[in-house]
Amino acid sequence: MVNGQSWRRRGVLASLAGMTAALGAPAIVRAAPSGKPVRVGGTLSLTGFLAQTALVHKIAAEIMVEEINGRNGFLGRPVEYVLLDDQSKPEVARSLYEKLITVDKVDLIQGPYATAPILAAMAVAQRFGKVMIQSSMGIPKLQTYDMAFPATPFGPEPDVTYPNVILDAMATVPTPPKTIVVLTSKFPSAQFMAQGMRTQAEKRGVKVLMYLEYESGNRDFGAIAARVKEANPDFLWVGSLGLESNQLLESLRKLDYTPKNHFHLYPAPGPLALSPDGKNALSSTFFEPAEPFLSRPGVKRIAEEFKTRATKANLPYPIIDGQAAGMVSEWQILEAAVNGANSLEDKAIAAWLKKSKVDTILGLQRFNGPFNHGDASQMVKQVQDTEWKIVWPTQFAAPGAKLIAS
Amino acid sequence: MMMQNAVPKLAAVAAVAVLAYLPGAGMPAFYDSFLYLLFFWISLSTSWALLSGFAGYFSLGHAAFFGVGMYTTGTLAAKFGVPFLATIPAAALLSALLGMGIGAVVFRLKRLRGDLFALLTLAVTFVIATIILNTDIDGGSGVFMSAVPMPQIFGSPSATLYVLGFGICLLTLAIAWKVAHSRLGMGLFAIHDDEDVAEAKGVPTFRYKLFAFGLSAGIAGAVGGIHAMYVGFLTVSETFGLTVPLYVVLMSVLGGSRHWFGPAVGAILIGASLYAFTSGSEAMIGRAIVALMLILAILWLPDGVVPTLLRWFARRRTKAAAPVVALRPAAVESTAPVVNRNIVEIRDVTKSFGGLQALRGVSLDVREGEILGLVGPNGSGKTTLINVISGHFPLTSGSVAVDGVQIGNLPAHEIARRGVARTYQIPRPFANMSVLDNVTLAATFGGPARNAREMRDEALHWITFTNLGGKEEALPADLNLHERKFLELARALAARPKLLLLDEVLSGLNPAEIDNAIRLVRAIRAQGSTIVFVEHLMRAVVELSDRIAVLNEGSLFALGAPREVMSDPRVVSIYLGKAYAA
Amino acid sequence: MPSATLLGQALISGVMAGGMYGLLALGLSLSWGLMRLVNLSHFALAFLAAYITYELGTTYHLAPWWSAALVIPAMFVIGLMQHWVFDRFKVNELASLLITFSFAVIVESGIQLYWTADYRRFENHYSGLSLRAGPFYIPVLELTLCLVAGALAWGTWLWLRKTYVGKALRASAEDADIAAAYGVDHRRLSFLLSGLCAAYAGVAGTFIALIATLAPAQIWSYLGVVFAVVIIGRLGNPLGALFAGMLIGASESLAMAVFSPAWAPVVSFSVLIAILLWDPDWA
Repeated sequence: MVNGQSWRRRGVLASLAGMTAALGAPAIVRAAPSGKPVRVGGTLSLTGFLAQTALVHKIAAEIMVEEINGRNGFLGRPVEYVLLDDQSKPEVARSLYEKLITVDKVDLIQGPYATAPILAAMAVAQRFGKVMIQSSMGIPKLQTYDMAFPATPFGPEPDVTYPNVILDAMATVPTPPKTIVVLTSKFPSAQFMAQGMRTQAEKRGVKVLMYLEYESGNRDFGAIAARVKEANPDFLWVGSLGLESNQLLESLRKLDYTPKNHFHLYPAPGPLALSPDGKNALSSTFFEPAEPFLSRPGVKRIAEEFKTRATKANLPYPIIDGQAAGMVSEWQILEAAVNGANSLEDKAIAAWLKKSKVDTILGLQRFNGPFNHGDASQMVKQVQDTEWKIVWPTQFAAPGAKLIAS
Repeated sequence: MMMQNAVPKLAAVAAVAVLAYLPGAGMPAFYDSFLYLLFFWISLSTSWALLSGFAGYFSLGHAAFFGVGMYTTGTLAAKFGVPFLATIPAAALLSALLGMGIGAVVFRLKRLRGDLFALLTLAVTFVIATIILNTDIDGGSGVFMSAVPMPQIFGSPSATLYVLGFGICLLTLAIAWKVAHSRLGMGLFAIHDDEDVAEAKGVPTFRYKLFAFGLSAGIAGAVGGIHAMYVGFLTVSETFGLTVPLYVVLMSVLGGSRHWFGPAVGAILIGASLYAFTSGSEAMIGRAIVALMLILAILWLPDGVVPTLLRWFARRRTKAAAPVVALRPAAVESTAPVVNRNIVEIRDVTKSFGGLQALRGVSLDVREGEILGLVGPNGSGKTTLINVISGHFPLTSGSVAVDGVQIGNLPAHEIARRGVARTYQIPRPFANMSVLDNVTLAATFGGPARNAREMRDEALHWITFTNLGGKEEALPADLNLHERKFLELARALAARPKLLLLDEVLSGLNPAEIDNAIRLVRAIRAQGSTIVFVEHLMRAVVELSDRIAVLNEGSLFALGAPREVMSDPRVVSIYLGKAYAA
Repeated sequence: MPSATLLGQALISGVMAGGMYGLLALGLSLSWGLMRLVNLSHFALAFLAAYITYELGTTYHLAPWWSAALVIPAMFVIGLMQHWVFDRFKVNELASLLITFSFAVIVESGIQLYWTADYRRFENHYSGLSLRAGPFYIPVLELTLCLVAGALAWGTWLWLRKTYVGKALRASAEDADIAAAYGVDHRRLSFLLSGLCAAYAGVAGTFIALIATLAPAQIWSYLGVVFAVVIIGRLGNPLGALFAGMLIGASESLAMAVFSPAWAPVVSFSVLIAILLWDPDWA
């Protein structure tokens, strides 16, 4: 059968099996969730150009659903994740959310991956009054739906707050950068942050030597690399997604140029960390599998489980990252809200979230700010010895890790 | 026969009624959206096929018009607060203007056909996409439509979009049907098969292509405008990606791009299959399975689903009796040749191709009703003269008048409509049209305006006249050379030309066929046509011609009665060399 | 106005990038021009070759030239198999578009099923190497690619012009019936050519594995630009394909050096449109 049926059955079985919790869970005896499953619907871009990150979200979601069912489920009932593929297309995402809500009649929904599908899904959620939690939309001001909630602490104005985080970090090094080149892909979430970086840099007296935009999907970075080399800034900020950072850095290496300090916004973490060009690269993150995050309840277990499954799924970089953690956070928030509001009604869940705080893998989050966003908690990580280590703010830095600057 | 026509019509009416009522039936919103997406693809692929399928001008730029439509609505509605519904006609208009603008430039250039046209439309898409990306229209941040109020028809946004999508879909299909069954469609199909010949038969190719392109673009623009509201967040990469141009081609090819309903069938099949395997666990395999099914479909139905099905049904239908030919003999005046009037006056015509002078000041009069043989050695300019008179090439200088009307530098289709018809040495019938359609087209575009019934009868008359009776439904590929040459004649005659130009009509025929052809040419003249024919076969030239004109190296060398001219030693020498003449 | 060094470097970089376009365009151009088959699966086959090269390189530590020795003949065979389908069903130009597109989707699905959608990089020590020529840097891998592409293009051009087989192929492309009357076995030649085009995809794939990071969706990223290259270079003209590739690569790169890089496609494609309108025979 070629619809969600087989997944449903497998989901239930898996969650029942997962209850044996042989993963180092504390040996507390609980009553297994029972009764009619609570069906949570959502889409991910399992095929198409967004597929590489959606994969990571899927694994994280599967782990969380099992964990939830290993505890109390939702109000004592097992949870079943009805997952569909939106093929990286917003119009498909829209129609599939309509299908999940009006045909499959799921009880709750979870958000998809990436800004465009999220906006499409959000419109549907709004029409049907469903609460929607999402973890990967980088432009908070577009989240205009009152019952949409972020699972990732971008804060309401990341284009103002985050550049200052970066600049704060760079201000602590022996020779803080005086010049900056801002490159960005013309992908909405990247360009948004790049414009913020430019503005904030200028405000803080860092000279913006060059601000360049390239179309997302650009293949040839040779000319751009040549321009960067010629400008030779103290700090190179790249609003990149996916592989663009690797391509740019390789192009720079071909010109025998290593940028002094380079920051990459949303690169694919694995390829950049493992590449010889990625040495000391800086990037944005909300989470890394190290202290102090591992001490948060359940995180160690989740990180290990993620590694196991990702390796089994043949992923070249099986380490849990910020994207996966975002998905984990989504489910943590939903679980907390359902149990906290003691209800599966969307309005009740939304109301509870607005007045509560949830302890998530990404920290304690609140949802009563503008666009339902709470405090910003975006951090800076750096590649050190082919591993990502958080270096700023220092209270979240990996033990012994310091920002390496040149 | 009545039953067979009635059933599909009834089915169509029923389908339309059901689909129109559906949104009011309170179905889950998903079905509204799913059907909307099908309507979306039907409209896009059918509009693409209007030019690219019918006329064969393969466009890879459908995304440009679709995108312009999307961003017109996006900009007007989100940035300027124009009500959504009002933006749709604006979107259609802007896209249509863009299409016609491109066409106005591109269609004038004969050499921009085939793959070059595909490239040009692709390049235009990239240019427009980049401009929109880099200016305030999008600027890279996308256009967010959430603040635009959605008109409420049938009480829900998805139903509203459904109704709009359905409306455009019906309109598009109606337009496609109308075009396919009109003169415009006939002309487009002819352009597809052989544009030069279509032009020579009187089809105003430039105007028709321009109109089809504008129509195609306008529909795509309207579809885009509506889709802007569906998607809700416009980005350049989504809008101008290769998905739209590629999928409309695939859908049209699958369904049959020459049939008005073909792309719709392809759109339904492919559009529905996109949803067949959306479950998370089977996404990848599902795509592969759908792709495999597409391969199998096109291998077994190479011309597309609709044409193959139609052929299958046609064969299954019991063979009806030979088509009832209501053969009212077309009113043909068989006046005796009026010898004293010049029907064609050629004055000092020169034609150069770059440095090569093919015609050097030829002056010639052709008397009404005569048969004038045009002979000369290879390269003397005979075919060039024919091409210049018929308008295939513009003349470099001089003048040509037919029946008192200057036709000098008119486009070929205008010349055809002023009573000049020609045949081609190597027959060039419209390969995908039946014999009857070939001849009917010539009657439609070359002759005086009549209704469809009369033109069909005219065509049948000439088919019988040229001994092709019984082969009306055959395709040219099924005919032998002799028959194809006579098809050329039938086509030329169906336009009731004042002047008939025959280009080596006898070449390749055996002696019996030659005699047949000679008889036919005489019969044609008896009907009142004037004939100028180029020929190498001397005995036929001498037998048929009232006068012979000899060309040599682009100039008129000799002109007179056959026997005189052919025994003139100068004429003999240019063919065989001076020694022979002596 | 950018410095001469910058412009020169941009030009070099663009020509190198164009070499890849030209190499990809080669197979597509030949099959479209000489056999009227628009093979959209060419890109998918190139990436399949790339992934196999990656697999052989990372799991079995096979050097790229050894894997090429395995992969390229394998691609040739796949080309033969593909052509068997075209031949058996007498596929026409439009149908070939649909069939090869579907085949590409199948290959992409297979790649994603086995290697997942996640990025894979065949780390090799050639990828950062450059030669220095004055103030300019010429990346070694790309240079090799351009030389190989040039050799293949030139060799193919010679083969088509000078050998019997080549001339026979061109004759068949112009008029298969007449050529057959002269004894040209169109069918066997077409098989050969299909295999060759697929082999060229294999060559491209080897370089893609070395130069780029792989993801299944990347298969489609070359479609638009290579299509343009094929048409500008004239169908069936191997040297034209290469030259057109380098021209587009260079014009885009120079535009990125002078203007905002996001404007680059406007510049290169506007130039293209202008050329087409003014005189397409130039190409």
